Amino acid sequence: MRPGSRRGSRTTLAVVLVAAIAPLALDARSAAPPSSQRTLEDYRHFRITAIDLLGRMPTREEIAAFERSDFDMDRWMDAQLGGPAYVERLTRIFMDALRLEPNVDFRSAPSELYRHDVLGPDGKAVAVYYREGQRRERPETDGEFCLSPEETGVVIRAHQPDQGTPKKVSEKGLDQATVLVKPWWLYRDFRTKNPSQRYGEGWKDPDPQYKPVESLLTEPDGKPVVAVRICREEAGLRDTGHVYASGRVVAPAKDAKLPGGRLRPPPLDKPYATQHQGQELACDTKMALDTAPDCGCGVGLERCMPGDSNQGGNAFYYPNHMPLGPGMPLDDARQQVQRWFPYWWSREAVRFIDDLFASDRDFREILTGKQTFVNGPLAQFYRTIQRTNCCGPEATFGMLEEKEPLFDPAAVPADLEPQDVSTWKLVDNRGPHAAGILTMPMFLEKYASARARGAALYNDFLCKSFVAESQHLAPSVEPNLMVRPGCKTCHATLEPLAAYFSRVEPASFVFLPQASFPVRSTTCKLDKNGRLNGACNALYDPAFADPRGATLRGAYGSPAHADETPVGAGQDITRMPEFAACAVQRVASSFLGRPTTPDDDALLASLTDAFVRSGFHMKTLVRGIVRSDAYRRSNNLSSTTWRAGTR
Amino acid sequence: MRSLAAACLAALAACGAPAERVAAGPSAPLPEHGVTVEDTAPKEDLRLVPPEVYMRTYLRLFGGLAPLDAQKRARGADGAGLFDAWDDYVSALGFPDYRLDVPRLTQTNALMAATFERLGVALCDRALEHDLKAPKGAELPPLSERLVFAFELPHGAMDQAAFASRFDVLHRTFLGYPASLAPPERTARFFQLYRDIVAGHTKADPRSRFTPDEAGWASVCYGLVRHPEFHLY
Repeated sequence: MRPGSRRGSRTTLAVVLVAAIAPLALDARSAAPPSSQRTLEDYRHFRITAIDLLGRMPTREEIAAFERSDFDMDRWMDAQLGGPAYVERLTRIFMDALRLEPNVDFRSAPSELYRHDVLGPDGKAVAVYYREGQRRERPETDGEFCLSPEETGVVIRAHQPDQGTPKKVSEKGLDQATVLVKPWWLYRDFRTKNPSQRYGEGWKDPDPQYKPVESLLTEPDGKPVVAVRICREEAGLRDTGHVYASGRVVAPAKDAKLPGGRLRPPPLDKPYATQHQGQELACDTKMALDTAPDCGCGVGLERCMPGDSNQGGNAFYYPNHMPLGPGMPLDDARQQVQRWFPYWWSREAVRFIDDLFASDRDFREILTGKQTFVNGPLAQFYRTIQRTNCCGPEATFGMLEEKEPLFDPAAVPADLEPQDVSTWKLVDNRGPHAAGILTMPMFLEKYASARARGAALYNDFLCKSFVAESQHLAPSVEPNLMVRPGCKTCHATLEPLAAYFSRVEPASFVFLPQASFPVRSTTCKLDKNGRLNGACNALYDPAFADPRGATLRGAYGSPAHADETPVGAGQDITRMPEFAACAVQRVASSFLGRPTTPDDDALLASLTDAFVRSGFHMKTLVRGIVRSDAYRRSNNLSSTTWRAGTR
Repeated sequence: MRSLAAACLAALAACGAPAERVAAGPSAPLPEHGVTVEDTAPKEDLRLVPPEVYMRTYLRLFGGLAPLDAQKRARGADGAGLFDAWDDYVSALGFPDYRLDVPRLTQTNALMAATFERLGVALCDRALEHDLKAPKGAELPPLSERLVFAFELPHGAMDQAAFASRFDVLHRTFLGYPASLAPPERTARFFQLYRDIVAGHTKADPRSRFTPDEAGWASVCYGLVRHPEFHLY
């Protein structure tokens, strides 16, 4: 080993620690070793620094090392910068502000599989997976469960109680309507022609954190599930399907007998389907579920998520609480399938922020970085599931599938399978629209509207709040809140910030490209009744429309910002002097354990200057804080007070 | 009746009096009684150790166990009900809940104090069992492997000097500095606590799992793990 190498210095440190531990093993025959010349203030400083940089109070061994005359506090502090506790400490500051944990479910009809039991030919329950709203060519089952009420005795609908009395399904009927599939959640090698590596058997060393619930693994009779039975259409393997038109354009009469004993009539053809019958379309889209019976869940059902009941149900075990990180969960709970992806969105955001501090990246990347980290579930999500969120009203504008997604599916590492929950890989560039946390699903779902997103930027990265003026609010029909009395105080600032996000749909992450969705559309305009119709009303704002055109929702505050997108928001905000000052204030306040006051102005100015000169590197900032007198004094009690008051 | 009439007369007189005027400034310079320098030092409030730090420290004191392992060990199999589940303590310890936008708690409350007590007692009791109570026929772990009580119990009676050296080990463990730098009465007060518990325990119902000495040390541990200096920084 070369002298001075990193490994060598670690060994030296270990020797020092062992030497330091030895005198601590206190025996009754020996008194405590003579205390060093450290003062109480020194000990307090060491303790608060350990709390901040080690993430815990110092051990007896560390205190003994600190007491040695050759202990170099500056060197010790430097050694902690970049460690996992330091990273967790800094991430906590920004997570406390951003709160990027899911309080939302992710539901996307094309990716949701429900499970319902029917009575098999032998009278035993047979579980069948299906999608709600799946198009089928049989009018008896089009848009419904793949076996009709006449065949099962029951009207089966997701989230609804059964209607009717179950009866045995014939062998032929079952075989015609359903098939057996070896799905991704059971088989590691689900992409092969004959998968054989089943979870619990044949699949060597599955990721220990990948834990499907028992009900996905065992049949009602207790035997392991070898293959799942699923409606034939849902098992479709194709990547592209075709627009289907049934020829039904008129609703049946109210008293008409419906085919197969169904309770509601089969879906009618939408004008788009009639006009584009046979047109090819991608199968992992909302349009495909609505219009293409030849589109299913793909190979191994990769485009779909399993639920263990007709309500969606549970799918996997993962923690509810893990305040010390995923490696130290406080529990392990069965979780609903709708929470699976939001859970990983949150982990993605934390990983991204962690990496900013672990790698001491330029802190501005929190709003501008193109990179991220994905694991297996996120790879599955960005590869295909995110695409199922689109498109509905967008199709009218020619967008049948996401054209410019915030995360380009082509950037997803090809070697991550959905079951690789513990394997995280760096993605250098998510795509041209990526902007730090601003374009991550977790941020966009947590802050669901453009205004909420703008306000989060303002509060969390500029340390500013919206404070309404005291004013009598008179009734007003003025749609422009930047000028409406009583509203303008806040909205004159908020609306331009919100406009950066007008191309990212609310409560979603579908990106509306400029080419298809100009800020000012001349296609969408008020009709003779003063209304915006159909898809225009969904995406363009009737309050900012006239007979000549309409403005994209949320863009009126600043059409320029709308076209700059979240990427522009990240660039503009990080260029503002308040950005660095805000970051410094947040971190300094957290380390000092109190709000900063005007008395701290000189310290903050000096820290901000050093932080900016360093290229926005957080280690420089933290090093400056923990070496400052203010930090050393930040004990909540001076030793005098302490002696006087605390016994 | 006479006093009522007097009150009415006084009220009438007040109505007719000229309006009270507040002088714009003192009629003469105010006399100087002394000069004090303005205290411009930042003022700090008491600040709680973050719950993450409390928990990491707690787990470290439990021997570096993962939370679920520490939970298992703290609960034990003796039916003592010393510990429930971490999930039950998360919000009481002041952790934020980002899902529900509940911020972290920065001040103690009764529930938090009770949780500290509950967790502290579990830690001290289990550590004492590990460090000082070997099962029959087994040896105690070496001092270097003891979690909290890294000292030997004396064979005879405990005097203040013998207590002080051992107390220093616990003081460093929980409060991070030598007992010699603490307020001078602290060691004596804890020694008194120890003696009181030992004396009381000797008379107590002998069903306790702990000997009087062990109970005495457990109580010292309770005192330190609940000490304000442990929870504040």
